[in-house]
Amino acid sequence: MTTLARRFALFAFTAWATITVNFMLPRMMPGDPIQLLIGKLQGRVTPEMIASIKAQFGQGLDQPILNQYGNYLSQLAHGDLGTSITLSAPVGDVLFSQLWWTIGLIGAAAVISFLIGTTLGALFGWTRGSRSDAAIPVATFLQSVPYYFLGTVLLMLFAGSLHWFPLMGAYDPSLTPGWNWEYISSVLRYAELPIASIVLCSLAGWMLGMRNMMVTTMSEDFVLMAVAKGLPRRRVMWHAARNAVLPSIANLALTIGLLVSGSLLVEQIFNYPGVGNLLVNAVGNQDYPLLQGIFLLITFTVLGANLLADLLYFVLDPRTRTATVN
Amino acid sequence: MSTTDNPPILEVSEFNVDYGYGDDAVRAVTDVSFSLGQSKVLGIAGESGSGKSTLVYALTRLLRAPGIITGGKATLRLLRQENDLPFDLLNATEAELRGIRWSQVSIVMQSALNALNPLQRIGKEFNEVLKLHDTSLSKADRKARAIELLALVDLGPDRLQRYPHELSGGQRQRVVIALALALRPELVIMDEPTTALDVVTQREIVSKLYELRQRLGFAMIFITHDLSLLVELADEIMVMYAGRIVERAPATHLYQAPRHPYTLGLMDSFPPLFGERVQMSGIPGSPPMLKSPPTGCAFHPRCAAAHDRCREESPPLVAIEDGQRSVACWLHDPTSTHEVPVALTRRHVAASEAN
Repeated sequence: MTTLARRFALFAFTAWATITVNFMLPRMMPGDPIQLLIGKLQGRVTPEMIASIKAQFGQGLDQPILNQYGNYLSQLAHGDLGTSITLSAPVGDVLFSQLWWTIGLIGAAAVISFLIGTTLGALFGWTRGSRSDAAIPVATFLQSVPYYFLGTVLLMLFAGSLHWFPLMGAYDPSLTPGWNWEYISSVLRYAELPIASIVLCSLAGWMLGMRNMMVTTMSEDFVLMAVAKGLPRRRVMWHAARNAVLPSIANLALTIGLLVSGSLLVEQIFNYPGVGNLLVNAVGNQDYPLLQGIFLLITFTVLGANLLADLLYFVLDPRTRTATVN
Repeated sequence: MSTTDNPPILEVSEFNVDYGYGDDAVRAVTDVSFSLGQSKVLGIAGESGSGKSTLVYALTRLLRAPGIITGGKATLRLLRQENDLPFDLLNATEAELRGIRWSQVSIVMQSALNALNPLQRIGKEFNEVLKLHDTSLSKADRKARAIELLALVDLGPDRLQRYPHELSGGQRQRVVIALALALRPELVIMDEPTTALDVVTQREIVSKLYELRQRLGFAMIFITHDLSLLVELADEIMVMYAGRIVERAPATHLYQAPRHPYTLGLMDSFPPLFGERVQMSGIPGSPPMLKSPPTGCAFHPRCAAAHDRCREESPPLVAIEDGQRSVACWLHDPTSTHEVPVALTRRHVAASEAN
């Protein structure tokens, strides 16, 4: 139990440190960030927005820093991330509305890629030395193709030239979003090509990793013992695969951590809504409150995914439950 | 050795195993022939790399690539099988092999830590084998049987809930032994089951095995490099060197009166647990590279009694002393004029004579 408690403590500390750095950064910038922001708005500024900017950067910078810090924390605790300058909407709401697109797209792609990749890896590992080894050079090639290149080629070929898939967006713009089949099927249809591109690019990594682990695990005595026990082939393979998949599962959790930040390229290439696009726009427009919100979101998904990886390992591998130090 | 009327449970003849193909092939087991009587214990001794493990893994068809069986015959005769036809081990299909695996022939591997799936509770291991070979047992029956089996090796039922890493080395090896006996096999193969354990635990395991064998009467092949362990356990001992059998004799004969210089060297490499302190001499040099074996007798570069013939011709395994035992050494050739070292001429004292 102490192992788990230590993990939680570390997580809590890192979370606190992240929040604090996020608080400190704008205050350490030279000049007055509030004046800078108001100046950037070029007159299109309402008293409300000034108030929100002030709230964001600590109401009255003349207050003692500890008070500002206290206010910041309490705002955060209420889910108040400030107001986006360019979008004139609460950062929390903006993030929330865009986050679902990212989670849906990247999450689905990661899970599909993981499932196909590890299954293939387990099979190819099991049949190593046979014709299935031909998959290795293909996988290595796919793994080394940069995503932006593959994504662009797929888009140009299948959406641009062949018109098999829609060119951009997340759903047919003539439809109104809602819980009806027409809209949902349109969302699925628009997600196909982006998801396929991510899967194609990340599949090989899962496959090679799992294959190698499988080959290593198969030389273990307990696999030979499973054969000696007279277990059917599939059962023996299961003994090996269960052990071999552990590192991949930990990796999957970490990949989910990169979900939000990794969405940038996909969303740019396929002009898909989501946090990645939001980030690019926020940087372009120097929308500091939004940027801060996105950074906070990214660090928390990475942290959360790390914690998830630890928890998963804890559940899946009994050895970690008694280990003192990892 | 076969004093019973029953045919031997395992008969092996001219058995050869290679590692690798073609020009790269290395012969790991050469022309091995032996038979094992029903309910008898055969000990196989030799240094690492002498081919003893390769031999049994090949016989049970568990040999991993690049190991290849290149020749020979191996026949299993199971009494409990409905059709008591001899079972051709080397030509059996995978499905046929599955039919005898664990239920008739089980194996205990060297490292018990690695022989158990680290993600699986001990209870699951038992459940798995019991379920596989006897579908008539209910879940409760299987659990009761597992508890019974653990009791056989002096472990409490609470171990069923444990994971392998939560048990000590000795406990894990007991679990594996209990697992090996789960389906009451007729032949149990022990591949250095005590090597990874400390001396005291080794002792416990060996006496446990002795007791279990007395009680359950399975035949056993016990592989070790510690000859002294074999003496009380084995009926017959086979000493292997560089993939060949160099000496085969009833256990007490071999121990009291070795005939091959290598057997003598092996015996001088382990201190007796009881009795006087003695000087350990060991065997000078190291086992030959199987890739480029020495000419003649493979042991000649390390043998104090080697002479010209040993360097040129490989000695065959021949019966000596009225066929009670056999040895592959030119010293014991009737035409040999070389003096046999005193240590190799000791007379075996039968238990009846000694009393």
